[in-house]
Amino acid sequence: MEAEKTSRWRWGVNRWIVLGLIILNFIFARQFPPIAPNVQLPAEPIFPITLPLVGEFVVTNTIIATLIADLVLFLLAFFVWRAVRRGDQILTGITGTVEAMTDALFSLNESTAGKWGKTIFVWMATIVFLVLIVNWTELIPGVDSIGAFNAEHIENPEDCTFDTFRIGSLEVVSVGGEPECSKGVVPFVRVASTDLNFTIALALIAVFMTQVIGVRALGASYFTKFFNTKTLFTAPMFGVINFLVSLLEAILESVKILSFGFRLFGNIFAGSILLFVVGSLVPVFLQSGVLLFEWFVGIIQAIVFGLLTLIFMSLATAGHGDEEEN
Amino acid sequence: MEGDIVQAAKLIGAGLAAIGVFGGGIGVGLAALGATQAMGRNPDVTGTIQTNMILGFAFAEATSIYALVVALLILFVF
Repeated sequence: MEAEKTSRWRWGVNRWIVLGLIILNFIFARQFPPIAPNVQLPAEPIFPITLPLVGEFVVTNTIIATLIADLVLFLLAFFVWRAVRRGDQILTGITGTVEAMTDALFSLNESTAGKWGKTIFVWMATIVFLVLIVNWTELIPGVDSIGAFNAEHIENPEDCTFDTFRIGSLEVVSVGGEPECSKGVVPFVRVASTDLNFTIALALIAVFMTQVIGVRALGASYFTKFFNTKTLFTAPMFGVINFLVSLLEAILESVKILSFGFRLFGNIFAGSILLFVVGSLVPVFLQSGVLLFEWFVGIIQAIVFGLLTLIFMSLATAGHGDEEEN
Repeated sequence: MEGDIVQAAKLIGAGLAAIGVFGGGIGVGLAALGATQAMGRNPDVTGTIQTNMILGFAFAEATSIYALVVALLILFVF
């Protein structure tokens, strides 16, 4: 029985699919040499639109990536809502995955934050899911490599060759010639985490809500953490030290914003540059490994962002230890 | 001529800034060392240790990510 199974597996189809994909990979890498698109820190503007309240507004490629991630999140939510409404006893497939993740995150919250777990869970799980989907948009083929051509980024445009062909009514240009030439490609979609606006905004939300939850848990006495005047008059010597330490605490709180923002940004930005460089140097095999690594980094960064939010929030809900001793 | 010197200085500066990454490497290695030792001694609490290990990774990695961000800023912004 065991041997039969093994022999059937040996002639399975998956390996031929993988082999075919590798051969296709070789052919396409010959036909369309991979490019290293223009690397720059600020998000590139794609097109301006006029919004009713805001007025002139430039849509950048990271905003498009964020919208795609939002769409994926809405679809996930819709699938789960439909499955729950239908009265499925056992969620399977994608809804089952979402259920398992939500369950794991919720039990983590309950065990870390106790009775504030439910309040914190809302923020923490939202951040984890959003960051996870946003990070994983990096893995979609065409992200970071299909884009508008902007000759301003190239130093010597005359060295480049352009092959123009048509798909339906759409004119497609593939860039060739010197490796420098591909720097003119401004991608339509760029991973949102490589834009500091996205990461700092998330960090601001996380740190601000930490203060809100702290105030809800402890009332006005929450602020004695940052402005400790309790022992200033009863024990002048130690009171002054306590006061200075509490000021340091306030500085630490604002540094959290930077640390949150730069951690996510640095990891994903470095990852996407690694993908360009490896992709343009070794177009076959190696990039698959790097993609797997980026998949892993995406999960880890999402969990770390959520976990740190959870821990800072649950620390904010807990009072000062030494106060209870006195 | 001057542009070339500035370019060279930028590349050297980015390389020097990236040296800071090695401290983060040591930190992450130490965190993994402690976690694996603890897991070897007490396999029952592997889950808790893993959570805290990843948290430790994040904190240790943060400084090296700052070095990396500085290097990237030198390369692509200035």
